[in-house]
Amino acid sequence: MPDEKTVITTCTHDCGGRCLLKAHVKDGIITRIETDDGEEPQLRACARGRAYRQRIYSPERLKYPMKRTGERGEGKFERISWAEALDTVAGELKRIKNTYGNPAIFHVSYSGNTGTMLHSQLAVVRLLTMFGGFTPTWGSASFWGNLFASEMTYGTLTTGTTRDDLPNARLIIMWGWNPAESIQITTTSYFMTLAKEAGVKVVAIDPRFTDSAAAFASQWIPIRPGTDTAMLIAMAYVMIKENLQDQKFLDTYTIGFDQFKDYVMGKSDGVLKTPAWAADITGVPAGTIEQLAREYALTKPSKLLTLGAPGRTAFGEQFHRAAATLAAMTGNIGIYGGESAGFGLAPVGLQPLASAALLHGGKPGNLPEGTTPKKGVHITKVWDAILNGTKGGYPADFKMVYTTNGNPVNQFMNSNKAVRALKSLEFVVVHEQFMTPTARYADILLPVNTFFERNDIVRPWHAAPYYIYANKVIDSLYESKSDFDICAELAPRLGIEGYSDKTEDEWLRLAWKSAEHFTLTKPLAGYDELKQKGVQKISLKQPAVAFKEQVEDFKNHPFPTPSGKIEIYSQRLADMNNPKLTPMPTYIEPWEGTRDALAQKYPLQLISTHYKRRIHSQMDNIPWMRELEPQTVWISSADARQRSIQHGDLVKIFNDRGTVVLPAKVTERIMPGVVSIDQGAWFNPDKQGVDRGGCVNVLLKDEHSPAGAFCSNTSLVQIEKV
Amino acid sequence: MQMAFYFDQSRCIGCYACSVACKDWNNIEAGPAQWRRVTAQERGAYPEVYLTYVSLSCSHCARPACADACPVNAIIKNGNNGVMAVNQEECLGYDACGACKKACPYAMPQFGSEENAKMQMCTFCNDRLKENRKPACVDACPVRALDAGPMEELQATYGKVTEVSGFTYSNATKPSILFKPRYKQNPSPQSRTPNPDKPEPKLTAKTKKETKKIEFGTQELTKVKTKIS
Repeated sequence: MPDEKTVITTCTHDCGGRCLLKAHVKDGIITRIETDDGEEPQLRACARGRAYRQRIYSPERLKYPMKRTGERGEGKFERISWAEALDTVAGELKRIKNTYGNPAIFHVSYSGNTGTMLHSQLAVVRLLTMFGGFTPTWGSASFWGNLFASEMTYGTLTTGTTRDDLPNARLIIMWGWNPAESIQITTTSYFMTLAKEAGVKVVAIDPRFTDSAAAFASQWIPIRPGTDTAMLIAMAYVMIKENLQDQKFLDTYTIGFDQFKDYVMGKSDGVLKTPAWAADITGVPAGTIEQLAREYALTKPSKLLTLGAPGRTAFGEQFHRAAATLAAMTGNIGIYGGESAGFGLAPVGLQPLASAALLHGGKPGNLPEGTTPKKGVHITKVWDAILNGTKGGYPADFKMVYTTNGNPVNQFMNSNKAVRALKSLEFVVVHEQFMTPTARYADILLPVNTFFERNDIVRPWHAAPYYIYANKVIDSLYESKSDFDICAELAPRLGIEGYSDKTEDEWLRLAWKSAEHFTLTKPLAGYDELKQKGVQKISLKQPAVAFKEQVEDFKNHPFPTPSGKIEIYSQRLADMNNPKLTPMPTYIEPWEGTRDALAQKYPLQLISTHYKRRIHSQMDNIPWMRELEPQTVWISSADARQRSIQHGDLVKIFNDRGTVVLPAKVTERIMPGVVSIDQGAWFNPDKQGVDRGGCVNVLLKDEHSPAGAFCSNTSLVQIEKV
Repeated sequence: MQMAFYFDQSRCIGCYACSVACKDWNNIEAGPAQWRRVTAQERGAYPEVYLTYVSLSCSHCARPACADACPVNAIIKNGNNGVMAVNQEECLGYDACGACKKACPYAMPQFGSEENAKMQMCTFCNDRLKENRKPACVDACPVRALDAGPMEELQATYGKVTEVSGFTYSNATKPSILFKPRYKQNPSPQSRTPNPDKPEPKLTAKTKKETKKIEFGTQELTKVKTKIS
């Protein structure tokens, strides 16, 4: 249409993909959203991106600044001016700083925008840093076990391959991996499809028969949550017993295999880690473990693909350490069609993070830290830290929470504890787009625009080879502003000079220039060209494969670990001297597993899964997404029968931490003894404190693994018909 | 000429990008009107379970029962390309009539939630068709499970399979849609039919040996391994 134009942008959420969105605009209104129809590989958007028009124009958008009028959390607010809102926030920041010191300011934000070069929670980090400091959080709800294990084993997070390498494998093991719903790089499902059609055998190991298992796999192996490490170790046993390991690879590139072998063969603890031993723990038949071990050892190249779920458990880092060890035992590292089972960034050049512009002034480097503690509070302990402060061993007695780009009441564990914690504070400020369960607890609530209303440059997830310029499509709606503009207006009120001496465009030019610091296979487009084209795809002649140099020319290319080798035994871990952080991959019995005494009272293992309908908690309120599939609790027909539960019945899911009421999805697609709730549904407690929204974090134990993994798949519950 | 759809069930991951793209392109509110709907079929018993999705819109039948049933001739088949259309001004509305939905073996005539809603359904994205573009659903699919075009061309490319799990061919209406199934036939716990369309992997002589040996038990396996090494 002649009076209509199209503008290229991309979702900047923490969704696992970075897809191309093409917005049709007429008279300043977005009328339609399309996706990539250009050069291959096309970056086609999922349902979430295609439904985004309803999010931008949702009647529920926060339109202007508001202050709380009722009790905190009651959800009663009144409209105020930006001047009053910013004066109040600045006044409270100064009062708290002067009365209690900077560490009493607790910055609890998360990843609502991520992979961006400018707009993210880092606007607040910059502001509070220049204000003299704050207490930060650490950890990741997604992948900390994986990150830690990858650093310890390989000394890097760049351990993966680009997705076009998937069809080069002959066997793919999807271990707790459901890219059909979690996306895991825009093109993953497409390349998995091509791999399947090229004859690659795909095996899915998962407590649920997922969409990915159905679409890609020819074999499904259900396994009890939190026991994956035991199965991996038993597979190692089979390989060792039958002498199937790639000994030459182990001798050349790894250290510590012999110590691991001693553990597996029971020399160190008297327990043979046989398939029968693992069968008892995992619920996977010994024969199945044996067969997969042989298949993995003898089918080369093979990809053992792990990302997050099995590592989001009590000792999640052990799962990732064990997976990497098996990848080494089978010699599948540094070769086409192989996979090192590490963190999985592809070696296409380290792409600049959001920190490039805002924190590092366009160059890699460190943030000036002020009085900010180097290591703050783990994200699973945020509520406990607020309630217990220094007497609980935390770095400060917290008086205020500053939240942007996050919905921690909903997305951090133990939502009922979150309510108690937030009610105990002196001041809470939240930047938001919607009245989320967290926004309800704000004293001052500041409306933020969406990525359609501002410019940014976005790098793809997991280092896929392209960049997208997220063009501003429309002006900011209502009175909303970006986090960055809000902080820039707060800065002078706090006596901060030089928060920003640049326009959005100038910051982005600087950030893009910083991309030159990073190696890529082809020169980058100029800033203006990128902005105009919207996307730069970097064509690779071959898939990019991590550790190819190390494996082909080890003498000149050691692994970036202290020993220069893949560390199956890690001296760094040994030096930590923590019996729960063993130097070799070890199966450690989890808390709230089937063998915990608590299982008498709460016999069902609860897992928390990603849902195709949401980006974590974002888009839970969007009608086009809500109508796709309902929020339910998955329960096996065997467990439902025992409880006289029929498909669709309202049931209560409960433990000592809280109660959630949801309809039951009675299905054959989940292992008996395991129930599952998709994470991200909005916490909606009734007068009795029973959550009617289906928020899984009401039930999850607010605990992390020894290395810092977010244990969202380690909790016990009971289910009864309402 | 008859325009038609193709749906590759072996590819569909059940992500709903097609149905949401349809709603966005055609500006349809959330609610009962689903021009394109995605449904799941779960079969089998744990742990031998099967899941397939089917993504369907109006199949622009060669002999549309909806048009025959309409008492006011508000449903029209385009003589050039076979695409169905509804004249909403003539339509009597769902509460007053609803004959088209009852007549369609797939219940594809759609109605909004308003009182006596007028019929609406897939237009094959006729605005895109005029620009030689495929329907929004086809261009949305992340795994390229959908296609659309003249029936003869689709048959030449994809073959003539007219049924799939979740869709039975109606001889009476002759829907204009072709399929590729995920499973060749209904799988049972005993025999999972391998996909006949899946080509054998290209293997070297050495890797062929390796593939063969993993099909045997422990003893066989050790024997073969010894032979190679």
